[in-house]
Amino acid sequence: MQPAQFARLQIHLDWLQYKQNFREAVTVMQGGEEQGQNAGPMEIRIDSRQVAPGSLRELLQRVLSSDKSESGDRQGRVYFEDFRSFRTSIVWEFNRLYWQRLKDWEKATGKSYEQALPGGKSDGNQADGVTDAATEFWTLLESLESQNRLPQEIFILEIGVGMGKHAGLWLDSFCTLDQARGTNFYPRLRYLLGDYSLATLEHSRPAVKRHMDLCSFIALDAMDPIKTLSFLRHKVLHVHSTNMYDNLPDEEVVWRDNRIFWVQCRAYLPAADAARIGKACDVAVADIPAIVDRLLDVGIAALPDRAKGMLFWMEVWKAMRTEEKLVDAVDMPDASFPAGLSSAQMEDILRNAPNDLRFHLSPGALESFRNTLPLLHPRGYLQVQDIFVTDLQDYSMGFHGPGKLDGSIVNWVNGALLREVAERAGYDLHFAPFQYRPGSKTSVLYTTRRE
Amino acid sequence: MTLPILPTTMVGSYSMPGWLERLKTDYFARRISRHDLDEIHDAAVRSAIKDEEMAGLDIVTDGELRRDNMIDYFVERLPGIQIDRSSKKFYYDFYDSEVIGKIPMAAVGLSDDFRFLLANTERAAKICITGPHSLCKRVRNKHYPTEEALATDIARVMNMELKELVKAGAKFIQIDEPYYSGFPEDINWGVKVLNILVEGVQAKIALHICYGNRYGKPSWEGSYRYLFPAILDAKVHSLSLEFARRGGEDVDLFREFKPPFELGAGVIDVKDNSVETPDIVAERIRKTMKVVPPEKLYVLPDCGLFHVPRDIAFAKLRAMVEGARMVRKELGK
Repeated sequence: MQPAQFARLQIHLDWLQYKQNFREAVTVMQGGEEQGQNAGPMEIRIDSRQVAPGSLRELLQRVLSSDKSESGDRQGRVYFEDFRSFRTSIVWEFNRLYWQRLKDWEKATGKSYEQALPGGKSDGNQADGVTDAATEFWTLLESLESQNRLPQEIFILEIGVGMGKHAGLWLDSFCTLDQARGTNFYPRLRYLLGDYSLATLEHSRPAVKRHMDLCSFIALDAMDPIKTLSFLRHKVLHVHSTNMYDNLPDEEVVWRDNRIFWVQCRAYLPAADAARIGKACDVAVADIPAIVDRLLDVGIAALPDRAKGMLFWMEVWKAMRTEEKLVDAVDMPDASFPAGLSSAQMEDILRNAPNDLRFHLSPGALESFRNTLPLLHPRGYLQVQDIFVTDLQDYSMGFHGPGKLDGSIVNWVNGALLREVAERAGYDLHFAPFQYRPGSKTSVLYTTRRE
Repeated sequence: MTLPILPTTMVGSYSMPGWLERLKTDYFARRISRHDLDEIHDAAVRSAIKDEEMAGLDIVTDGELRRDNMIDYFVERLPGIQIDRSSKKFYYDFYDSEVIGKIPMAAVGLSDDFRFLLANTERAAKICITGPHSLCKRVRNKHYPTEEALATDIARVMNMELKELVKAGAKFIQIDEPYYSGFPEDINWGVKVLNILVEGVQAKIALHICYGNRYGKPSWEGSYRYLFPAILDAKVHSLSLEFARRGGEDVDLFREFKPPFELGAGVIDVKDNSVETPDIVAERIRKTMKVVPPEKLYVLPDCGLFHVPRDIAFAKLRAMVEGARMVRKELGK
């Protein structure tokens, strides 16, 4: 290693909260090319949870000796793509596959996706939390009614409906409250259940069967709700989602020495895992990328034996890792920040940020957020239960994803950037801890109108 | 200057360019000087006027590009209002401002900006002023016993200023009172104060009332019915109302109450970036003409175009002008 390279080399010792993730025990992150030359290693990232006692020295020597060549650790890796932005990586195709073919996964694991969540249940379905949310909404309606400003039809939108449990609980709570207080708002509700998956919408119906007359099931792109619901611009009084933002495509940037670096990645299978999977599923290692393509297309029917197809999916996902490199923003003139976040805003944000900061851009969440706000009635509000990093500084205090949760990706959402985008769109953002499950990492984001 | 039938005009603001937003914010962060910002404003205003002329408007404004928002431009000029100048993070934020004593009669100093507009166009020109009711809703009142009392004194000061504007050549003056829609219970005293504002002002006075346009979204919803009958006492020549986004049902209030005013009909939705076609604009004008005769009708957007990207704002104005031309042609004018 050259002295100049050594001078800027950083070593990160991380504790990854997700046992399943995309990292090796020790990973070398390369810099991109500089003036036609490989910039060499810029970071060594150590996942302290994966490193066995006494093995670190050997691991370090191995990855450093192989960092410039396709030898050593890299030999035999099965790559699925070239280096690219994480948001366009094949890992998100696996995430999509999971939600589209959830039944297959649940059948194979013998447990529902909710059981795989921390606490074994979605925080969106905690009864006390739902009751409080319904009460808060009722209070808004009463206030509007007292001012003669309550619309005849009261629109509520839920994006990402799961099995419909949250919607069912919320409507039950609201109905009970409305009847107890004799306000008769309930029949005026128009509850829209929105999800990109028609199958999910269908599965959600039984949970709201008591309230079917008030419910509509709408297939929509979570990242662009206004596109489907433009007829409800400025008319929706409440928008809710739970654990949706953390599952939208994401990418990361690094702020170092007053420069922005984009993190590029490429997904692969380590050689040993590829060999093991090939043997277990009766496929040649060289055929794995093509079978993965077929898997993403047709699901577990990608292999003649569906059981082996399922095994292939689960094992490939479990073993999948990503290599990373940093590319200086000046070498990526076409890369752009998410819509709603200008480079000028980004400069302002970073002006006060600590150096050596790696953080999520959360483009999927920002896009969804930005394309949801125009639906809100002037007195309406958005409430999102998710895992948020609310201060950029917190990124230097720990690891915030991506990790794997069952067959899907879990990633913290950059709430600090959401706040910036919200302010320019006329809303203040607030984050409150989710108080209905002890130890929950969930926060509740809610909007208030900015004057 | 003779105007055609169905004259087209702006409500006030034109598209605020992103680069100007950044420079304004840089000024608050003391990264550029007042002198530089003034020069930047001059260039931006000339550009906005040119766009309005090219779009074909009959009455133009300066695009209000010197203003941070509809409140601060006035409160920082009004005598006796204390401002916390550190209270802005972004130029568009409102200052924290308060009144701690009686507002003295003194010049506000809007004439120079209006003279700049006149010097840069040969079209008819309009200046837009935020009304006393809206201003008093954004200033913390620590002196006056009531909001009405505060608004009354603001109106007296601004009345003097309007007369100065007339001396400077203003023939069209628009008063903006969007907060009427947020506080309909104030409408009686709001009109009383408005009449103090326009007393003796020898210009064509329009009163613009919308449902808010802060950050390009409505602040309130409802019906203009709350304006009536109190608004019938307003000493103005025309009402400019938001119809395109909300639908034109409230035009029927003109049939019901037969107000003595001309109507400025909003035919362009400024809260949606899709561009109306001239046909849509023409149809909205025709619909309005079923209630208000064309001789008493002005054609304009729902509100300012401040939040609309420039290319879209320009296209919307072009469509509006073309729609008005289509109807004029049908009328043989």
